[in-house]
Amino acid sequence: MELLVFFEKWIWLGFAAIGFAILFNVPLRTLWVIFLMGALGGALKLFIMKLGGGIIIGSFFGAVLVGILSIGAGHYKHSPPFVFAIPSVIPMVPGAFAYRMMLGLVRLTNNTDQTTFSQLLNDTVDNGLKAFFVLLVLALGVSTPMLITRQQSAKNIKVPLKKDR
Amino acid sequence: MEHSDEEKNSELCKLLLEVGSLLMGSGANSARIRITIQRIANAYGYDAELLITHRALMLSVYNDEKDFFVSRLKRTLPHGANFKMVSGISRMSWQIVDEKWNLAQVRQEIVRLKTVAHYPRLVTLSMVALAGASFCRLFGGGYMEVMVAFVATFIGLFVRQEAAKKAFNPYLCIYFAALTSSLIAGLPVKLNLGAHPDYAFATSVLYLIPGIPLINSMSDLLDGNIMNGMVRGINGLIIAFAIAMGLLSAILTYNI
Repeated sequence: MELLVFFEKWIWLGFAAIGFAILFNVPLRTLWVIFLMGALGGALKLFIMKLGGGIIIGSFFGAVLVGILSIGAGHYKHSPPFVFAIPSVIPMVPGAFAYRMMLGLVRLTNNTDQTTFSQLLNDTVDNGLKAFFVLLVLALGVSTPMLITRQQSAKNIKVPLKKDR
Repeated sequence: MEHSDEEKNSELCKLLLEVGSLLMGSGANSARIRITIQRIANAYGYDAELLITHRALMLSVYNDEKDFFVSRLKRTLPHGANFKMVSGISRMSWQIVDEKWNLAQVRQEIVRLKTVAHYPRLVTLSMVALAGASFCRLFGGGYMEVMVAFVATFIGLFVRQEAAKKAFNPYLCIYFAALTSSLIAGLPVKLNLGAHPDYAFATSVLYLIPGIPLINSMSDLLDGNIMNGMVRGINGLIIAFAIAMGLLSAILTYNI
């Protein structure tokens, strides 16, 4: 039963990545790879969050997985890795936190009651910090393979499954 | 001979700037633009230096041996995501290096890439709506909420595309879309339908999140392109502000 729920989430994560991939007009040949990468990255994030890692650490490892897979996918499908990586991590982007922070900031301007104000300030700062740090670790995670191998172009990174052009 | 050489150089500069501006307009980060331009310039035996800003590119192409130097400036295209373009240009840059393309071939390929079709509108609308529904499901919504999120996303994206066609300010387009989506998703909250109508309300605007500006902003900052990173980040924040304004308008309308 637990596994079934997990599998269902896996599929929804994939569709979320695909939706954004189509919005960003990616080449057709990369779509199913993005589905897999989005699902795997998102599943790893949910798994780590379930282990008690929190959203920031979860997002980081999810993004690292996506980053590593994107290098292989780039070689395999002849596209720049970030074409795969960005749609795959978009479902992890803390959009909900970012606009809750904005909503909080707007509400703070017309609230004078002391207790509501401090409660709202708490929530706004919490949401804003989470949005910022999740975003930071997503960008860091996606570029991890490049940072570690110290290459400027993913083409110079040796990948086992590489086929000849 | 001298004349044709000069024409060639000027054509090369034009092409390099065209490539840079296309990349900037299609959602590539600054490091990718710089690497691609330098790769193409090196393939023709020149060095290139680039000043990248959000709205314009400045390029100097030079060759010390031939005592050649030229600078040019070009405005970038309006920003929007088009990864077919980024992928196509990246492939082209390697073909230029590996297969020694001449400038006419490059020009032809750029013209071809510009005409490559987007996905059909209905496909885009339904897949993005499906993504919105997926978000709602992941948040824990039931069938009712998933349906609401699907419809809200579908119509909201439609409104955004129509507003963009009418050439409204891009942030205003996003405001319209956020307002439409949250008005649709807010109705079940107002009428108290379903188990958790607020899940659909919270996820109905997720398709508008400025993912590319924010991720590119961070990768530019990590890469040392602090100015570009800040500009892109502020662009992303204004988009988030537009979304929040749309949501707030709907909340005030329904008084929920």
